Amino acid sequence: MLKVENLHASVGDKEILKGINLTVKAGEVHAIMGPNGSGKSTLASVLAGNEKFTVTAGKVEFMGEELLDLPIEERSRKGIFLGFQYPVEIPGVTMANFMKLAVNEHRKYRGEQPLTAAEYLKLMREKSAIVELDSKLTSRAVNEGFSGGEKKKNEIFQMAMLDPKLAILDETDSGLDIDALRIVATGVTRLKRDDNATIVITHYQRLLDYIVPDYVHVLYKGRIIYSGDKSLALKLEKEGYDWLINDYKEE
Amino acid sequence: MTQRIIDKMAAQPLSRGCCATSGRWYIQPEEDMDIRIEEGADVELLIVDKALAVNLDIEIERGAHLRIVEVVTERSAMQLSVAVGADAECRMTQIVLSPSDMRVAASLVAAGARFELNGAFILTAEEQGSVTVDVNHLSADCVSRTSVKGVASGKAHGSFSGLVYVAPDAQHTDSAQSSRNIVIGDAHIETLPQLEIYADDVKCSHGATVGQMDADAILYMRQRGLSLADAKRLQIEGFISDVVLHASIESLVEPLEELLSVKFNSL
Repeated sequence: MLKVENLHASVGDKEILKGINLTVKAGEVHAIMGPNGSGKSTLASVLAGNEKFTVTAGKVEFMGEELLDLPIEERSRKGIFLGFQYPVEIPGVTMANFMKLAVNEHRKYRGEQPLTAAEYLKLMREKSAIVELDSKLTSRAVNEGFSGGEKKKNEIFQMAMLDPKLAILDETDSGLDIDALRIVATGVTRLKRDDNATIVITHYQRLLDYIVPDYVHVLYKGRIIYSGDKSLALKLEKEGYDWLINDYKEE
Repeated sequence: MTQRIIDKMAAQPLSRGCCATSGRWYIQPEEDMDIRIEEGADVELLIVDKALAVNLDIEIERGAHLRIVEVVTERSAMQLSVAVGADAECRMTQIVLSPSDMRVAASLVAAGARFELNGAFILTAEEQGSVTVDVNHLSADCVSRTSVKGVASGKAHGSFSGLVYVAPDAQHTDSAQSSRNIVIGDAHIETLPQLEIYADDVKCSHGATVGQMDADAILYMRQRGLSLADAKRLQIEGFISDVVLHASIESLVEPLEELLSVKFNSL
């Protein structure tokens, strides 16, 4: 599904990603861990198509197509979803109205008719249940006045609405209490199928108690320095990153 | 379009020099007009501006409530003067969608008077326009609220100027004024909020901002699949939406939304 080869990216003059290699197949869950400032969020942003970052080398294939030439909205319509670490507030725009536009944009891209009002309401009801999102929130302005937990649930709600092929969740667990974490993680697990994939970016093992990854990668100074199975996350939790970082010699 | 709004409200035309009783009225002033709102009346008034320069004087008698929606879709220059009497209230929504010069002068002439204006102006292409709101607190114990939002795109040029004057006797004045603006591209908006206070026991606040669109919000919307143009439009809609949603005449919310939607397409 996703094939990242030797990806380099910078913001301004500062190179942040220094040669990422990563392959994600349908049905898989990958966790990307690593200390602060290692480039985790940048990787998520670059894959999603945030123009703040410049790709200086490498290539990314998504569903067999070159991804990096596409603008962010087209990547979304092709099935890439980014769960934001800091979901943005949009005053005056209701969640329901926003998602209706987004869902219909995706449908148009696939050559489908827009949903009728009744179909849309039904979809919204169904999907908000997945993350136990209070249905009143959908009539409020996007993320405005939402609590930290509501914002993150709202991200997974949007993921459910758009049904992406590849979801990249950028520190969706940060700032969540244990109940919200469980709800968010359960939501993600319920959305998992054989024909989609998830990349979970996280700081803590905690989330991975609920979302069990097939692979765990450690990102450090812009490179994936170590990959393993889910037991790697447990080891990192216990022993920290030092043993890996000490092993790792920068060229 | 304006006829549709009049129909929607089921309003009757109000004639010149007339005294409005409770009910729904509209005017399309072609010449200067004086209107009196009868004591204790509850009046909804729709003002649809023609491409003319006219003065409209409204006197609101004791205890009357006037709710005004003013819609400006043609290039006009209207001066609206409102005198609000004791325990009377004027709540006004002003939507300016054409390159016009609009002036509102409200005078709070007796205790318990209240004036409230929520306005929006949108200018595109090479349009130029201005909104001026002068609020005169001439008596003690009056309240005023002014909030005007401006949007300018292309090479448009807009300006807001607001003055709150508090007379020496107008103690316990409670006044707030805000001007918030978004400029897109090479457009300009100037905002000049002013306070002139001659009483010492008053509560007056004012604030003004001119900013660009929120790049993070645009990015967020595009990540969900909206085109750049749709994301920008949605953000502007959201910015203006509360002015329309809380329009002082509730039956006009929907037609105003339609009217704005046409203008948004040209942003």
